[in-house]
Amino acid sequence: MNAPQKVPVTILTGFLGSGKTTLLNRILSEEHGKRIAVIENEYGEVGIDQALVIDAEEEIFEMSNGCICCTVRGDLIRVLSNLMKRRDKFDYVLVETTGLADPGPVAQTFFMDEDISSEYALDGIVTLVDAFHIDQQLGRSDESTEQIAFADVVVLNKTDLASGEGLDEIETRIREMNRMTKIVRAENADVPVDTVLNLSAFNLDQALERRPTFLEPEYPFEWTGVYSVEPENYKIQFDEGPDPSMSLVITTDQGTDDSDLRDNAEKCVRYYAEDEKSILPDETIPMNTHVELNLASGGSKSFNIIIDKPMHIGLYAQHTAEEFNIQLIKKGSNAVVPAVIERTWVAQHEHDDEVGSIAIEKDGDVDQEKLNKWLSKVLGEKGIDIFRMKGFLSISGDSRRFVFQGVHMLFDAKPDRSWDDMPRRNQLVFIGRNLDEDEMRKGFEECLV
Amino acid sequence: MNAQSLGSLRTGWSVTLDDCALSGGWTSEGNEFAVVDAAGGVSVFDGKRGDLIWAKKNVHDGGALATSVHPSKRKFATTGQDGRLIIWNLLEPDTEKVIDIGTGWAENVSWSQDGSLIAASLSKTVNVYSASGEEVWRTSDHQSTVSTIAWTNKGELATACYGQVQFLDGVSGNLIQKLEWKGSLVSIALSSDSDIVACGSQDNSVHFWRRSSGNDSKMSGYPFKPSALSFNNKGTLLATGGSEAATVWNFEGDGPEGTSPLELDYHADAITSLLFSNHSNRLVSGCRNGTVVLWEISPNNTPTKLGVGQVADTVAELYWRPDDRAVAALDRQGGVTVWRI
Repeated sequence: MNAPQKVPVTILTGFLGSGKTTLLNRILSEEHGKRIAVIENEYGEVGIDQALVIDAEEEIFEMSNGCICCTVRGDLIRVLSNLMKRRDKFDYVLVETTGLADPGPVAQTFFMDEDISSEYALDGIVTLVDAFHIDQQLGRSDESTEQIAFADVVVLNKTDLASGEGLDEIETRIREMNRMTKIVRAENADVPVDTVLNLSAFNLDQALERRPTFLEPEYPFEWTGVYSVEPENYKIQFDEGPDPSMSLVITTDQGTDDSDLRDNAEKCVRYYAEDEKSILPDETIPMNTHVELNLASGGSKSFNIIIDKPMHIGLYAQHTAEEFNIQLIKKGSNAVVPAVIERTWVAQHEHDDEVGSIAIEKDGDVDQEKLNKWLSKVLGEKGIDIFRMKGFLSISGDSRRFVFQGVHMLFDAKPDRSWDDMPRRNQLVFIGRNLDEDEMRKGFEECLV
Repeated sequence: MNAQSLGSLRTGWSVTLDDCALSGGWTSEGNEFAVVDAAGGVSVFDGKRGDLIWAKKNVHDGGALATSVHPSKRKFATTGQDGRLIIWNLLEPDTEKVIDIGTGWAENVSWSQDGSLIAASLSKTVNVYSASGEEVWRTSDHQSTVSTIAWTNKGELATACYGQVQFLDGVSGNLIQKLEWKGSLVSIALSSDSDIVACGSQDNSVHFWRRSSGNDSKMSGYPFKPSALSFNNKGTLLATGGSEAATVWNFEGDGPEGTSPLELDYHADAITSLLFSNHSNRLVSGCRNGTVVLWEISPNNTPTKLGVGQVADTVAELYWRPDDRAVAALDRQGGVTVWRI
C-alpha cells in the first residue's frame, strides 16, 4: 500500500477576543474547495460555516512518569483518531484552542502519540494577539506568554486600534520572546491564508530552507562598514543624531566577505564586553578597542583615525551610519571614502520578559559526544523551561549538515544535505523561560572541536 | 507476501460499505452480522452468505461510533456523534427505541452479558438502560471522557477513563471498586472470571489489576499504544497489540510478572485489532496494513500460524462468530470480510 499523505494540522491559539474565529472563517471561505475539519475548545465568538466543526473539551493527560513532554491532549487524540477513520480524508485540520491553553501538550500530541503522528503532521502554531490588549495580557498570564513563545507565526491583530509606535514596541517585545516567529500585522485577521497555513514549521527538511536567517544572533552593535585605507590620517565625521554618545570598535586587517564580517563580529563582542574608553571630538580613536564617542555637542563633529599601512578597516558601530550620517574622510584631500561593504546586525535589546530567545551561532565543528552530553544535560535540567528549539549543527567527521528541532524535551534531529563548499557552522535557537544565555553559550562553545 | 506458503484463510463472503466499517457484531446463532460505518449507516447481512438483509443510511448525524448486538435476542444498539442511542430490530429496519442521551459523541455502547441492560457512554458520563430502553441509572461525571466500557460476568459495569477504572453495580449503579493509575486508560479486557482487568494505556504500556487482591502491575516497552487487548476464554492468556508482533502474556502460576511473553511474529506493521476465539486458544490478529493472521496456541504455549488473510486497508475490528467457525474483519475502506475457519 502507498504511504498515505499525512493530513496537515494548524493550531490556532490566542486569547478570547483576539480574532481566532474571524481568522478561521477567513481561512474556510478562502479554502472553500477543501475539506477542512475544525476542532474547537471554546465556543466561538461568531459562528463557523462550511466546515465540520467538532467541539471538544480540553483534556490534559499527564503520564505516571511525571514527564512534561509526555503530557498530551486526550480530546485531540480522541477526535483525530475518529476523523482518520473516514474513507474521504480531510485535507486540513485546524485546532482552535482556548486562550488559556498550554501549547506544549497540544504540540506534543503530534509527536508522542504514534496513532496520531502516523496520520497527521503538525504544520504550525499560529498565535493571534490583540494589539490593543496585549500589554495587559502579557504581564499577567503564563499562557499568553507561552502561546507567543511557541508560535511559528504571530498575527498582530486589531492594529487599527493601536498607534504605529505602540505596534513597533509590541513587535519588538514579541520578537525578544520568540526570535523564530514571523510577525504579521492585521486589522481584522485579514492575513493572506498562505502566511498561516502550509508552513511545514515542524518539518526538518523545510523549516530551514524557508527562513535560513531565522536565527540571526544578536550583537551589541547595529551596523558595520568596511573601508579600504592607506597610510594616512583620516577622520570619521558625525552629524547630529538621536543619541548623545555611541559605542564603536574599529577593527584592523578586516576582510570583506560576509564570513569575515561575522568572524570579526564575534571578536567585537569580546571588545564590547570590555569597559569603553571615552573619546571626545577631535581626539584619536585607538584601533581594536571599545570606545564611546562623545556626541553631546551640537552640529557636526569628527574623530581622528591614524593609519600606518594599507588595509581594510571595519567600523562596528552601535548605531547605523544612516542615523548619524557617518562618513570616513581622508584628511589631506577631504575626500569621502566610500564603504567597500556594509551590513546591519540584529541589535540586542533589553529583556524584560521572563520568556526569551537565545541564538547561538558558531563556525566550526562540534564533537558529537560532547554535544550529546551537553544537550541531555540542558534538556534534563531546563527541558520544562525550553519551549521550542531549532537549528543546525556541523558534527565533526560527518560530511552532512544536521538539522534539529524540538518541543520541551522532545528532540528530533537528522542529517540533511552535504556541506560541500559551504562554510561549516552551527546555529541554534532556544526559546524558553529564564534561560541563562551566558551559560548556554559557554556550554555549547565547550562542545566545539 | 508469504500468504500462499502459509495457507490463505478461506473467504466466506465480503462486502464493501460506503465508508469505514467501524463496529459490528454477530447475532447469537451467527445467522446475521450487523455493522455501522463512519458515515452513519447501519447494515445487517446474512451471516452465512453475506446477502444484505437491510441497510439504512445516515441514521446518526455526523457518523455512527459504536454498535452492540444483543447476546441472545435479535436486536442490536448503535450510538453516534449525534449523542443518540438507537435500539434496532435486527430483522427489519425498525427502531425499537431512540434515546437522546445528550449533546456530544456517544462513543461506547454495550449490552450486559445476560442482555437485561444496556450501557452507553457520552463524554464523561455513562447511562444504563433496561433492554427496552428505559433509563435505569446514570453516573456523575468521570474525571475525563469515558474511553471504554465493559460488562463483567457478574453483571458489573466497568468504565475506564484517564486515571481510573471503576466497577459499578449493574442494577443500582453503586460503586463497587475503583482502581487508580495516573495514566490515560484507553481499552479494557476482563478475564472470564472478571478477576483480572487489563487496560491499554496512552504511555505505551498495559496496566493490569487483580481485583481480589487489589495488586497491580504493568507491562511496558511497547513501541505503539497497546489498544488491542484480548483474554482467552479461560482467562489464562492475555494477547496485546502495541507492536508488530502480537504479545501474549501467560497468567498461569506466578505469571505474567517476571516472565517473558510469547511474541507472535508475522505482521509488518502495528497490530490494530486482535481477539481470542470463544472456545479455544485460537487468536486472530489484524494489522494496520490490512493483513489478518489466524494463530493457535497449544497447551504447552507454542504458537502456530494457521492462515493469513488480506483486506483492503487497516483492520478496524475483528469478530469471531459465536461458534468460532468464522471470523469477520472490518476495515478502513468499508470492507466487511468473513473467513470460514
